[in-house]
Amino acid sequence: MARVNDPELTKRELHGVVAEMYDRMVKGEAPTMTLPVRTKNNIGFDKKLGVYKYGKKRSVRDASSLGSAKNLLRALHVVEFIEEMIKSGKSSTLREMYYISEGWGYGKFGSQNDSNNLAEDLEVITTCLREDFKLRPEEDGARMIGNLTLQEKNRKGEWMRINARDDVGDSGYGVPYNVEIEKIELLEHDVDFIMAIETGGMFDRLIENGFDEDYRCALLHLKGQPARSTRRILKRMNEEWGLPVVVFLDGDPWSFRIFASIAYGAIKTAHISEYLATPSASYLGITADDILAYDLPADELSKKDVEALNAELSDPRFADGWWQDQINMMLEINMKAEQQSLAKYGLDFVTDTYLPEKLGELGLA
Amino acid sequence: MPLLNNLMQKEYFVQGPLSLGLWRTLNGEITMAIAEKMASNQKQIAISEFFEKNKHFLGFDSMPRSIITAVKESVDNSLDACEEARILPDIKIRLTKIEDKKDVIELMAEDNGPGIPEAAIGKVFGQLLFGSRFHAIRQSRGQQGIGITGVVMYSQLTTGKPTIVVSKIANETSAVSVKIGLDTRKNKAIKSEQDRIIWEDDDGVLKEHGVKVTCRMKAKYQRGKQSVYQYLRMTSIVNPHAAITFTDPDGEVHHWPRVTERLPTKVDAIKPHPHGIELGQLQRMLRESKESRMTVFLRANFSGVSMRAAKQLCEAAEVSEKAKPSTLKPDPIRNLIEAFQGERLCEGRIVKLLAPPINCLSPIEEMLIKKGLSKTIDSKFISTMTRAPSVSHGNPFQIEVGLIFGEGMVGDSHVEILRFANRVPLMYQQGGCLLTKAIEKVDWRQYGLEQAGGKGVPKGPAAILVHLASTNVQFTSEAKEALADNEIVFEETRKAMLEMGRGLRKHLEKKKKMAKTREKFELINDILPAIAAKSAAILGRPVPDLSGSITKIMNAIIAEEESVWNKETKQVDVKIIFYNYSSRARQYTLLTNWPEKSGAVMVGNERGGRKETTGIWAWKMETLNPGENAMIEYSLDGLEKGDWTETDVFFRGNQEVIGATKMDEKMLEEIRNQEEISRAAGIEIPDDDIIDEDEDTAPVAEGDNRQTTLFGGEA
Repeated sequence: MARVNDPELTKRELHGVVAEMYDRMVKGEAPTMTLPVRTKNNIGFDKKLGVYKYGKKRSVRDASSLGSAKNLLRALHVVEFIEEMIKSGKSSTLREMYYISEGWGYGKFGSQNDSNNLAEDLEVITTCLREDFKLRPEEDGARMIGNLTLQEKNRKGEWMRINARDDVGDSGYGVPYNVEIEKIELLEHDVDFIMAIETGGMFDRLIENGFDEDYRCALLHLKGQPARSTRRILKRMNEEWGLPVVVFLDGDPWSFRIFASIAYGAIKTAHISEYLATPSASYLGITADDILAYDLPADELSKKDVEALNAELSDPRFADGWWQDQINMMLEINMKAEQQSLAKYGLDFVTDTYLPEKLGELGLA
Repeated sequence: MPLLNNLMQKEYFVQGPLSLGLWRTLNGEITMAIAEKMASNQKQIAISEFFEKNKHFLGFDSMPRSIITAVKESVDNSLDACEEARILPDIKIRLTKIEDKKDVIELMAEDNGPGIPEAAIGKVFGQLLFGSRFHAIRQSRGQQGIGITGVVMYSQLTTGKPTIVVSKIANETSAVSVKIGLDTRKNKAIKSEQDRIIWEDDDGVLKEHGVKVTCRMKAKYQRGKQSVYQYLRMTSIVNPHAAITFTDPDGEVHHWPRVTERLPTKVDAIKPHPHGIELGQLQRMLRESKESRMTVFLRANFSGVSMRAAKQLCEAAEVSEKAKPSTLKPDPIRNLIEAFQGERLCEGRIVKLLAPPINCLSPIEEMLIKKGLSKTIDSKFISTMTRAPSVSHGNPFQIEVGLIFGEGMVGDSHVEILRFANRVPLMYQQGGCLLTKAIEKVDWRQYGLEQAGGKGVPKGPAAILVHLASTNVQFTSEAKEALADNEIVFEETRKAMLEMGRGLRKHLEKKKKMAKTREKFELINDILPAIAAKSAAILGRPVPDLSGSITKIMNAIIAEEESVWNKETKQVDVKIIFYNYSSRARQYTLLTNWPEKSGAVMVGNERGGRKETTGIWAWKMETLNPGENAMIEYSLDGLEKGDWTETDVFFRGNQEVIGATKMDEKMLEEIRNQEEISRAAGIEIPDDDIIDEDEDTAPVAEGDNRQTTLFGGEA
């Protein structure tokens, strides 16, 4: 586990980054920062962990150009900022850090993206988590509904017991950005599996139709590409409760990527895949053959879609036969379909027919 | 027909009585056509009829064009008059819409020229074909258009109103004011309400001399590419010595200030060159000649003909040297033309003729084009060049070009092309013009402009100026708006464009390189020390010494240049800092260029050094150890603000220098050679005074002037 949760260790790791720059200057060289290459060409399957991790390729960022020199200076400012937060027991969002950098002179960030990337760079190098850095993401986590009981520590430091079916409204339980053990404890449940859903519309449809009750499951809204905390809580429920996870997405190349980040690990966060990914998660649909089998209203693939599919063919995470078949089939029929396209057969079709049939294939219904 | 006799009497006029010579009417081909037509036609032609029939090529074919032509005629006259009288022109043009009358515009044109004597006014304004300029072989504006009489006629034909002329010459106390109408049958002016008046300007100051013309005509004022505004703007670019004020019909006042006190070089008329003469012209010259012998005739009436050449021409043409020119028969005349053209040989060889003298040309000159352009277009990079004079078919000509590039200009449309012939803007028929074709032939993509397929008018934030100065401008048609194809002129123009393009590419490359260098300086001066300080603070260790890291990061030798105008001293202060950021000690010779040809003088150069060639100075620098720098400082005197904003730095040495160009020794050699040629040809360098007309000046090879600049070499 990458999780350290030890301020002293975090500081030591960060000082290692600073010392690399310092030592190079003492030697009369340009200061550098060495980090793993973060592309699909440098991820590989870790047999021990069952997820995809960064390989051995390293890139060196040195101060020979203005852009990278500024990046090194920014990293130093961020390190200093993190140390201050650790010392004072505060935390900040990435966006706040971006604005705080206004006062960093030459070390100021050019865009929010710069600050997000740098935070990730530091995570990758130090193998610490941004939670250790006291940095929070902007995006909120997922919504959850179902007969699950957990407790969350509120701002006053008191544990609150919450049942995600009885103690919440229609919007469900909101997953906080920190879902670690010091913040959330999983207590008990009475469901058979968890279904993660891509779109809010489908999530609400299943709730309205009472699907969670009928099929004894918990529903989780991913909100597109899922936030870290969403993936993390899925992983915890899967591991700690031993609940199967099924993923219900649109039928397009981007959904395949969402699934890969849930099940195998995302390329951008491959340094902490073992902490975020749920290798046993299953892809429920919509698959390429569903489009044909259910004769769903479909759109033609765009140029970008085709490019994405072709890129997936060479992505190690989609190397197995089933995925290669799905991707090739989608390219062949040149079609994609949304979850909502099931409404072609009425509002109840998804809960009465489609999902039961698909879950049946997985042995869950 | 006394008028035509007058025209035929002499083949060329060097100069008429001064103030008469200032006001031209018709010229060139049109005149010849009319004159011959009228001579052959015994009946009196009503001039108005001729005008009506030919107004399309006289510039009065449409209402928007008529007003441009009218303004053009009066401005051309004013500029020519001022030039000959050596007066710095102040020209005022005012257009007013006449109320209640649709499409009637009043034109008021005023200058500070020498004025026209009372007795000559009627002829100048009221008689077609009057003027002394006709047929003089030299560069003049008046190779175009019908002249001011055409304006008087147009306004009379369209509004029935006479033209009001006010004129004052310096040695009279009062001005003459008169209304001019035309008797189109007799080709004569009808004067009315003639009076002597006291002429004061708007501030109540007595006017010393000048002419003011006021007339009304049917016309339409338009804006855009073909407008009075554009015509005046273009005129002001190529006449940097003129101040022009324009009040448009909406009352908006546009002013183009004078940017130089230097008048255009005074040009002399030259005799025709045998290469440029046609049969009819030669026949006429022979018929009217008073000379008793052919050799004397040839020597006296042509340029480029030495005594030896005159004898050889006669031999080649099988004409006796002693023959009386006025009695020569058609066949020998044809033989003579063939000998002129080199089709008949003397002793098996073409008769060698000297090139015509080139002092009949008055180029605007590089520095003044630069000033003219920069006053009307706001931009960063301006490159201009005046090619050495060349000769085509016996006619001396000279190409001048300017390229302006950068901020403040539209980037995504075609570049603006500003065409001129003898300082007259060409505003119509851009596509059919030789000058445009030469621009289109260049692949501008390699010089940093966009161009579909590498041909056609390029796109980008730029404007290109082309000026042809010539004693004989050939147009595609009577409309005189597009230059006719001519291989030699085309090649000269194209070469000048390539030169401009190279200058532009250099500028863009340099800009890119300097931006990179500036980044590196920011890196080592600001970022690296901050990294050192911050990392030391976080780790609680001492701040490391950075000299080693700096050398590693820069790993270069850098020259930084700065040329800035010093308001106090009225000089350009030049500073060059030379850094050695490499790991070894370095020794170089640095060179810079300065506008010596434009009269700049280098002052306060304490490092000494020596002059390498015209406009190039060299300093042998001391050895610089890693991390050291050295400075060169001097000032340039004798320039005006904006004349010199960028100094080129060159070096001799092994390692590349960022911010400087390796000296091309062959190019230096070329510059020295060119100087030799020019000196031998009698062109003074760096001074540009007029040279004496001397038939025995060294020949300028046709179509090859071996021109090169520091960035030159042929493409």
